[in-house]
Amino acid sequence: MHQDPISTLEAKLGVSRRSFLQFCTALAATMGLPKGADAQIAQALAGAAKRPSVIWLHFQECTGCTESLLRAEHPTLEKLILEIISLDYHESLFAAAGHQAEAARKAAMEANKGKYVLVVEGAIPTKDGGIYCKIGGHTAMELTKECAADAAAIIAIGSCASWGGMPSTPPNPTGAAGVNAIVKDKPVVTIPGCPPNPYNFLATVAHFLTFGKLPAIDEKGRPLFAYSRLIHENCERRAHFDAGRFANEFGDEGHRKGYCLYKLGCKGPETYANCPSILFGDVGSGSWPVGTGHPCVGCTEQGIGFAKPIHALADLKNTYPPASYPRIVEDQGQGLSFGSAALVAGIAGAAAGAGAMLARNLGRKDDESDKA
Amino acid sequence: MSGAAPARRIVGPFNRVEGDLEVHLDLDRGRIASARVNAPLFRGFETMLDGKPPSDALVLAPRICGICSVAQSQATAKALAAAMGLAIPDNGRRAFHLLLGAENAADHLVHFHLFFMPDFTHAAYAGRPWHGRALQRFQPGAGQALVAAARLRARFFQVMGILAGKWPHSLALQPGGSSKPVDRGERSRLRALVAEFRAHVEEHLFTAPLEAFADLADRSDLARFAARHAGGDAALFLTIAADLGLAELGRAPGPALSYGAYAEAEGALLPAGLWDGKAVRPLDLAGLVEDPAHAWMAGAALHPGQGETRPDLAKPQAYSWCKAPRLNGQPVEVGALARQLIAGHPLIRALWADRGSNVESRVVARLLEIARLVPALERWAAELEPDRPFCHPAVPIETAQGVGLVEAARGGLGHWLTVEDGRIARYQIIAPTTWNFSPRDGAGMPGPLEQALVGVPVGNDEATPIAVQHVVRSFDPCMVCTVH
Repeated sequence: MHQDPISTLEAKLGVSRRSFLQFCTALAATMGLPKGADAQIAQALAGAAKRPSVIWLHFQECTGCTESLLRAEHPTLEKLILEIISLDYHESLFAAAGHQAEAARKAAMEANKGKYVLVVEGAIPTKDGGIYCKIGGHTAMELTKECAADAAAIIAIGSCASWGGMPSTPPNPTGAAGVNAIVKDKPVVTIPGCPPNPYNFLATVAHFLTFGKLPAIDEKGRPLFAYSRLIHENCERRAHFDAGRFANEFGDEGHRKGYCLYKLGCKGPETYANCPSILFGDVGSGSWPVGTGHPCVGCTEQGIGFAKPIHALADLKNTYPPASYPRIVEDQGQGLSFGSAALVAGIAGAAAGAGAMLARNLGRKDDESDKA
Repeated sequence: MSGAAPARRIVGPFNRVEGDLEVHLDLDRGRIASARVNAPLFRGFETMLDGKPPSDALVLAPRICGICSVAQSQATAKALAAAMGLAIPDNGRRAFHLLLGAENAADHLVHFHLFFMPDFTHAAYAGRPWHGRALQRFQPGAGQALVAAARLRARFFQVMGILAGKWPHSLALQPGGSSKPVDRGERSRLRALVAEFRAHVEEHLFTAPLEAFADLADRSDLARFAARHAGGDAALFLTIAADLGLAELGRAPGPALSYGAYAEAEGALLPAGLWDGKAVRPLDLAGLVEDPAHAWMAGAALHPGQGETRPDLAKPQAYSWCKAPRLNGQPVEVGALARQLIAGHPLIRALWADRGSNVESRVVARLLEIARLVPALERWAAELEPDRPFCHPAVPIETAQGVGLVEAARGGLGHWLTVEDGRIARYQIIAPTTWNFSPRDGAGMPGPLEQALVGVPVGNDEATPIAVQHVVRSFDPCMVCTVH
């Protein structure tokens, strides 16, 4: 007797095989895994003999991370996550209250010692003995240490848990810090973003379930599949940047025409995230901040998000338009367009230098006009 | 402790409320004699905003809350617009109303299905005739109505995706309007999404047209509605409320205020005002202060336009991070009940005349608001004009003041902004739950929840008394907003 695990899941969750497989494919694509990985993920998620226990802690947060997860579709979180993982402690979603909830957390930790996944949402205040966030009489620092000790894997969801995020904005009145400032003896996977894209979190969990380990991460703990490219590299408005077409104010002609938001302070050129590739809210193209006409604020990037003023220009880490771009005739602004600058410079054999120079000029020009 | 002495009990952490909450109870012969509410989380947003460029407030302040994120954004945008003397184009106003109305309607939906109703599946109610149905519809994680509502919200919030990119913490809301122009295709999708929402709540929540619920005028109408549409979840709640006497539970004396919402050329859908218990008076905020007497905050009771936020950990009489807002010396209740009272809705006026603010009337007011908001959302979506502007450019400000008043799902939300030399010199926020869950003030007057809990029965073996949970959740608290 062999029942196909996906059929079992289909019956149990009431989600169709098709939408379940679509979801697995989306996760595999989010992670940039090779063909065939979607099937592996599907088998792992559907066939898990015992659901891994998850302890989810909330500290200095706004519940936005959970909220954005609750919005993920194909299928929805309350179906998938609550069935595929065993969410043994989560404040917003949990049925019990008070001491019951505390007891459930302790029981789950004891029963799954060394095997549970700890998810932390929110920053951890470290100033004045951590008094600024207490749950059931314990500080966030104490709870983090206690729950991290026997965790198999630790995931910090959102910018707050990743490095302190919004509450760590200068002057950082509560000494807000990320999980990896408290837990030093274990790797902490960070999924920064305010809120982060739910698929980056779900893909990380799926990776853990499928391959028995967390995905490859950079030195800040970020999964490489999601945070190794600049927003600027995949931005749908990149061609306008390269062509020198910019919005200068909200509601001006360039803004209405969907031009590049660099001059409005877009931090896409210095922020690593996959927002323009995987978008938000499952509504299709354009559903991310730049797509709605607002500059990226760098919410995934420590030192940029909530720290650098929104109107300050981004530092360009990467200034060259792709060589394959055709020359674009500039229809706004002054001087040489990026595309044409690169083209001209390319002929002269100095594309890199010219591109960087033009980029610096852009910044300088703006600074001067601000003073004027 | 001996049986005769007043017993003390600490209830918390609370689940299925947004954020962290602890309630300290003094008990006397099986009832609550006095209650003290503590918001145990402090982040210091107001301190972080000090000295920042004014436009940064649009990025920073809304991150107070991931639940009423649009309301926070609109309060910031309105405070900045007031400081700039900027008006927004008609399309911007419609986009604002659509975003706020969608967030509020969805918040009410989630509160009812995911936070409030699951309490009635508790084993303590196993003998009640409605318990089986409550389990079937609202069992946490599995109830049909609960699961369907979570899915409906996920789908409905595509409205946020279309109008504002990501949610929470959408950036599209600007002082001059919305940064996202809507094209014809998007307008059609918005209208379809609102229509889907209507179809779902008409089929499952009301089992009746929304207008049938919105037209109810008094308690006998409400009873007739429950009998006629007994298959709906609204009727299930009304049955439970009647059986358990929820209209007697968690009574708060008022007054109640609304800053007004959804302003249009011909007047606001929900006007501003102060309900004094008998009639609506004009809302005058000159007598508004935040009193830090029982908060871990230094300083005196000040108007938010002059307010300050300085933690003081050494205060012996303090028990919360929340300052106590008072209007003319009184605690004030805010929320859907206050809005509908002040808007003069006959059903809510009748419920108030009957037993004031209580667990039942607060929940009925939210259901009513869903029924009244959806037709307005339909209209605003239809009125969007794709070829007209959605946003006016912002104006630089050097020295100015501005106030942004918004009605979030949970009640009145205010941002008070002062700009000096091109930088934020003061930013003070009073959120809805700051009003409802405020601690005592300098005169020892308890806040609305603290008053509503007095007299609530507590069983001897109840670690987390179920009646306390009904009362707390009937306010739909958002603790992350409360202290910020």
